[in-house]
Amino acid sequence: MSTYAQQTAENVTLPSSLDEAVAALAAMPSAVPVAGGTDLMASVNAGLLRPAALVGLGRIAEIRGWQYADGAALLGAGLTHARMGRPDFAALIPALAAAARSAGPPQIRNAGTLGGNIVSAAPTGDSLPVLAALEASVVLAGPEADREIPVSHLLTGMDPLRPGELLAFVRIPLLHAPQTFLKATGRTGPGRAVASVALVVDPARRQVRCAVGAVAQVPLRPLEAEQWVAGLIDWDGERTLAPEACTAFGEYVAAACIPDQPGVELPPAAVQLRRTVAALSRRALGRALA
Amino acid sequence: MSVIDGSAPAAGTLAGDTPHGIGTSVPSTDALAKTQGTYPYAADLWAEGLLWAAVLRSPHPHARILRIDTADAAAMPGVRAVVTHEDVPGDAMHGRRVADRPVFAHDIVRHHGEPIAAVAADHPDTARLAAAAILVEYEVLEPVTDPEKAFAAEPLHPDGNLIRHIPLRFGDPEAVGEVIVEGLYRVGRQDPAPIGAEAGLAVPRPDGGVELYVASTDPHADRDIAAACFGLEADHVKVVVTGVPGAMGDREDSGVQLPLGLLALKTGCPVKFVATREESFLGHAHRHPTLLRYRHHADAEGRLVKVEAQILLDAGAYADASSDALAAAVAFAAGPYVVPHVFVEGWAVRTNNPPSGHVRGEGALQVCTAYEGQMDKLAAKLGLEPAEIRMRNVLSTGDLLPTGQTVTCPAPVGELLKAVRDADLPPLPDGDDESQWLLPGGTSGAGEPGAVRRGVGYALGMVHVLGAEGTDEVSTATVRVHDGRATVICAAVETGQGFTTLARQIVQEVLGVEDVRVLAPDTDQPPAGPSARGRHTWVSGGAVERAAKMVRTQVLQPLAAKFGMSVELLSIADGKITSYDGVLSTTVAETLDGKELWATAQCRPHPTDRLDDTGQGDAFVGLAFCAIRAVVDVDIELGAVRVVELAVAQDVGRILNPRQLAARIEAGVTQGLGLALMEDLRAPRGVVKRPSLTGYALPTALDAPDVRIVKLVEERDVVAPFGAKAVSAVPVVTSPAAIASAVRAATGRPVSRLPIRPQAAIVKPQA
Ligand SMILES: Cc1cc2nc3c(=O)[nH]c(=O)nc-3n(C[C@H](O)[C@H](O)[C@H](O)COP(=O)(O)OP(=O)(O)OC[C@H]3O[C@@H](n4cnc5c(N)ncnc54)[C@H](O)[C@@H]3O)c2cc1C
Repeated sequence: MSTYAQQTAENVTLPSSLDEAVAALAAMPSAVPVAGGTDLMASVNAGLLRPAALVGLGRIAEIRGWQYADGAALLGAGLTHARMGRPDFAALIPALAAAARSAGPPQIRNAGTLGGNIVSAAPTGDSLPVLAALEASVVLAGPEADREIPVSHLLTGMDPLRPGELLAFVRIPLLHAPQTFLKATGRTGPGRAVASVALVVDPARRQVRCAVGAVAQVPLRPLEAEQWVAGLIDWDGERTLAPEACTAFGEYVAAACIPDQPGVELPPAAVQLRRTVAALSRRALGRALA
Repeated sequence: MSVIDGSAPAAGTLAGDTPHGIGTSVPSTDALAKTQGTYPYAADLWAEGLLWAAVLRSPHPHARILRIDTADAAAMPGVRAVVTHEDVPGDAMHGRRVADRPVFAHDIVRHHGEPIAAVAADHPDTARLAAAAILVEYEVLEPVTDPEKAFAAEPLHPDGNLIRHIPLRFGDPEAVGEVIVEGLYRVGRQDPAPIGAEAGLAVPRPDGGVELYVASTDPHADRDIAAACFGLEADHVKVVVTGVPGAMGDREDSGVQLPLGLLALKTGCPVKFVATREESFLGHAHRHPTLLRYRHHADAEGRLVKVEAQILLDAGAYADASSDALAAAVAFAAGPYVVPHVFVEGWAVRTNNPPSGHVRGEGALQVCTAYEGQMDKLAAKLGLEPAEIRMRNVLSTGDLLPTGQTVTCPAPVGELLKAVRDADLPPLPDGDDESQWLLPGGTSGAGEPGAVRRGVGYALGMVHVLGAEGTDEVSTATVRVHDGRATVICAAVETGQGFTTLARQIVQEVLGVEDVRVLAPDTDQPPAGPSARGRHTWVSGGAVERAAKMVRTQVLQPLAAKFGMSVELLSIADGKITSYDGVLSTTVAETLDGKELWATAQCRPHPTDRLDDTGQGDAFVGLAFCAIRAVVDVDIELGAVRVVELAVAQDVGRILNPRQLAARIEAGVTQGLGLALMEDLRAPRGVVKRPSLTGYALPTALDAPDVRIVKLVEERDVVAPFGAKAVSAVPVVTSPAAIASAVRAATGRPVSRLPIRPQAAIVKPQA
């Protein structure tokens, strides 16, 4: 009589290159890719998911680091939060490093990856507002030719992952200007975002780009507020802003992300969320440009 | 992180490095196994040929069951048995205090997660799938989830919706103070959230009985409930206590133990069950959510004149320990303060919310939050310092409780308050160096030093020690000495509170034997009662001491007779027996000469009374007190709160094991912090939301403050064995109120609800 679940070990493949991984998925269409497993295994343990087979991505060296390409960084999907939180990476993409440092407790950051964070696409995914603000794109490897799409297309489901496709790389423009990521959790210990704000300054395009996480299914970009504040900045001069401008920006962003509903009073929870987003956006802009 | 200033822990009583005996930091024997992950918990049990159980639970908080059809489930391959209410051979109803809870719901479901049926199968997945395949037809009923509406609602149970009402009358109802403050307070639903979920193994016996291997904290009570349900004599059911992965009260959910035993009896096979996290949240008892209305009267100097209170405990669907919780809430409604006139109406009512029960400090915690909120209000109104108004009213030995009971035990409340008030405040962070400053909101980058306000708050808490209101608090222990080794047999469960270590210390102290073993408890041993309210330190520790002393007399009597001196002139230490003059010197082993000595003794403290119909009576054996000063940082724009430091002064009677004592205090204040800032199991319309450790946040190392034990008052309680008081519950009771008080000081906001939500700690900018 058997008392234990048959271990799925024989159904785990551990490819050592992207090509092998793509081939393994093509050979077993029911297989599910797993990177750090911090999202996937929680679903398995809760009995929500019973994958017939797993393709482990942990041994694919080419997606565990990053390289430079034409003023952009090409980040491997297998970069862990812990790796992205280190100082060398923080010098490169400070906002993404800050997001990675806040993504859960150390055990989770050691295992959880950028690719997993994007594919899981949880509203509270901490890397997501940063990628949205940076206007990152993702490189997808599949049985057909590789393709590259804006990260927002993937997150909104406008252009989802196709069967057999893997997220291989994330392309991020290197801006060489201040950028911030702020996350409110309501507690001091690690926690999921109640709201988060990523803000980047792009001097070349004379833009301030901002994305608000956790308040909607996908990160929100308050485009009008961005344009308004970019118009206040003396791009050829000091690039600083008065505190009043930061406050007004915060209110603008908050109202855009948590809009008034015509005819009804905003419920207290929404008022509170708006207040939080306003404070975070003000602080984010202040730190980038004060 | 803990610092003990003040008296240094007592050094070992013996030469050598190993701590030994009472008053030293003897380490716990299972600490190493627990850190290394080799300690066997209930979920690690295994028996050859075992089956797996799964329980079907109600998705509705209130429904009528029209039909239960188990045919599909029973027919699934691998399924060996399905049991419902029809398969309960004995009593269909059970309960810890009142038998008002069905083993399986059959006509009415009264809370989300109530067990309806259970399955045994040869694989855990099969068992779960089969449970899900049981067809239950419900007529969904409107749940009663507002305890204030329970009074007028249709009865949810044949016993009615009012579980207990205590109207306490003490003093003159017409008395009025010069200053009056009013407040409405709410305390949320804290889950005990044991890190090890409920689990167990039931093994049928050839004689038709069954053995239950469970992490019980009250094995004999669990055995009696199980035997009644199984329709067996008590001696046909044996409860064996397995490693307890954390307990905060009545640890186990009978909804697990009873189906397990029924399935083992029905299949004739061992059956194992491990609850999912979700089931754990749904099944076990929670802290009573409570609504409290207060009116405090004081004179112009800030001396309390009268306290009026209405206290409403939400018991959930079944009575459980609600009556005890209510007694504590009503008796301690005014706190450790002298109040000449006290009038309290206390009710515990039935609702369709998740079940409430015994969780450390029940009743006392909720009122502490409220009466300390009132003290802050009075201080503000009178322009007094919060510590000062408390100091003007502190209770002492000889004062009366509002129940009419005279406080006869040490009650050094003023001394405790003074100790925390006068302790140095933690330094403010250096504004220039942000890296040294863990801001409220933690490491997530949102914090901004400019928006942070610091606040200092105080609270005084009290709890009763041992069961109250006439509970027979007895424990029995046996001590055996043989071959230079002592063995303790006592059914007091080690829940992590340190009982086995204490038992070893006691025997070391009395018998001078180094090697002391404490056997694992089961129901073949005489009962020791529940592991709660610090009772094992008192009653079981007392019984062990007596038994050890009886053995000691047996060892020394023959020697004393031989040398013509009285037993009192001989002493045992380090395995050696010496006379006062040093003439006689021999060893315990030599004296025993291969003989085995046994002694069994009981400890039963003096009896107590039930509170009468005006809330009067000598209901408590002993009391313990605590003062906490909380220092918090609040981000007044985001409402994030970080507790920087909790300074604790506690009335402990006597320090039996300094390290364990510090650990109990740290654990207690941190549990209280959880309730103050984050822990609240939400159940809108009776349906539990997010029953997981992601949805239900517990304090982590980053949330936990520096815990500074500034004073431990060792004034022995003469009626308690060793003079020691219970230490675990009172810090839990006091810390939430202290944190709320500090947040009030930082923000100027009223803070009348726990947990403190961010919106309650935001200071709106002046328009
Ligand atoms: C306790 C805890 C706390 C957490 N806290 C946070 C937090 O604060 N912030 C936060 O953002 N997240 C948090 N998470 C979620 C999680 O850790 C992150 O989302 C993490 O980045 C997921 O990465 P992973 O490598 O573990 O993904 P996995 O679990 O391995 O995979 C997640 C999903 O992505 C798919 N996938 C993974 N890699 C690829 C790829 N290269 N191509 C295609 N599909 C892929 C998998 O098939 C799966 O569906 C937390 C999780 C836990 C358990």
